[in-house]
Amino acid sequence: MQEFLQQVVSGLASGGIFASLALALVLIYNAMGLVNFAQGEMAMFATFIAFVLIAHGMSYWIAFPVTLVLAFAGGIAVQRIVIRPVEHAPVLTLVIVTLGLATLFNGAAGFLFGYVPRSFPSPFSVQTVNILGAYASYQDLGVIAVSGVVLFAIYLLLQHTTIGLTMRAAAHHPEASRLLGVHVSWMLALGWGLASAVGAVSGIMAAPALLLQPDMMQTVIIYAFAAAVLGGIESPLGAVVGGLIVGVTVNFAGAYLPFVGGDLQLAVALAIIVAVLVVKPNGLFGRPAVRRV
Amino acid sequence: MPALLEVEDVRAGYGGTSVLHGVSLSVPEGAIVSLLGANGAGKTTTLRAITAGVRWTGDIRFQGRSLRRMSTEDVVRLGVAHVPEGRGILTELTVDENLRLGAHLRHDADVRKDYDEVFAYFPVLRERRGLSASTLSGGEQQMLAIARALLMRPRLMLLDEPSLGLAPMVVRSIFEIIRTINQARGVAVLLVEQNATLALEMSSAAFVLEVGRVAVHGDSSELKGNESVRRSYLGY
Repeated sequence: MQEFLQQVVSGLASGGIFASLALALVLIYNAMGLVNFAQGEMAMFATFIAFVLIAHGMSYWIAFPVTLVLAFAGGIAVQRIVIRPVEHAPVLTLVIVTLGLATLFNGAAGFLFGYVPRSFPSPFSVQTVNILGAYASYQDLGVIAVSGVVLFAIYLLLQHTTIGLTMRAAAHHPEASRLLGVHVSWMLALGWGLASAVGAVSGIMAAPALLLQPDMMQTVIIYAFAAAVLGGIESPLGAVVGGLIVGVTVNFAGAYLPFVGGDLQLAVALAIIVAVLVVKPNGLFGRPAVRRV
Repeated sequence: MPALLEVEDVRAGYGGTSVLHGVSLSVPEGAIVSLLGANGAGKTTTLRAITAGVRWTGDIRFQGRSLRRMSTEDVVRLGVAHVPEGRGILTELTVDENLRLGAHLRHDADVRKDYDEVFAYFPVLRERRGLSASTLSGGEQQMLAIARALLMRPRLMLLDEPSLGLAPMVVRSIFEIIRTINQARGVAVLLVEQNATLALEMSSAAFVLEVGRVAVHGDSSELKGNESVRRSYLGY
């Protein structure tokens, strides 16, 4: 029972990281009808920015919000400069453009910061605390808390503010929204900024355990895809729930299924993607895709 | 004094196909004007040109100001509420969220009062506030679309076939409310309608489009007596 609880806590910690990146994927999916394959690399790049800020003596809790603001601005810039010109292009073009962006961010990070894995500071100690007989690390609890706060803030923004309302309107019905005076193009840019900032949170939270290097997010993004697909690719709530489920499931599989161990955890995520697509293609919270003919 | 809306020799189309071949019409301040014509005559395209939903040449002026090169958002923000074909309801959102989108640009103190007024016209919307807009019937969605347009506090409402697909009784009550709004608020209305009898009854003036041009125009009462209009659009 004790070990079970410990596995749940560390599963939720990974889950928080997956949920943040999955939410980033969903925000952009809603804004342009396509996942952003560069989401993980953008998060990695933002994490390098946080690394540089901290290395130059900025305290962690100042560098963290500063990085989010920079990531937000960067996301908007990417949408305005790279995505907007090809907004109305066929889907395949957009796929290639975001894949190109991924390569670009990966290469730029390698060029600027090198490929040597670097240890990234964590503000939480690796000490453990006893909760109900189970031992949880402050590191895991801290990741859960930070992800929780960020995800809740996004929820409040989307569901309980006028700007969030206009963002949702612009994503779902651009034409009708324009007729209500919503600046649709800017709302989509805002979606990119927000996604980039949430993605940065997942990168910064993942870095202490994974070590920072340009390929750091390439497995995390697979888990995030699994989470987003499981939740229903259009649903922000689904992304969060999906992230937590994937985190806990993968952790359990690693701990309790001897043949999975640490090596096949990624395969579990891929199995989740395939299973969801076969059994329930709209995910847990997705609406069935209805096409009028 | 110039009219509230002036459309002058407007040509527009989709891709290579031109739909409007020089449409001119005007809507005076506070008036209800109807725009009639057969399917494909260019009624919807005329409305879409006004709110920049389609590229056009010629000139369109609102309150004396040219709308040339303005985006849809900019035209709407000047005080033009366009209830499009199909009503433009955001079905992913709730009834209340749809209404809030109507009022989202306003910061004046009268918003609350306007909500009350809207709910007085359409009590059913108050009952359904928290529900998804997709659960509303066609008539209720039309009411929501008009209510939402009203919350924008427009000077001019463009209504594209508000009667489409609705039961005659529902159409009656919606048209009565449109008339009430027009009289109480002084909101001008440009009404596109298939149901010419009803439209001519409501409006003070009317324009009849035929293949992208204004074929006949004049006072609604006159047009009702016009032989060719009667035969083509009134059906008796």
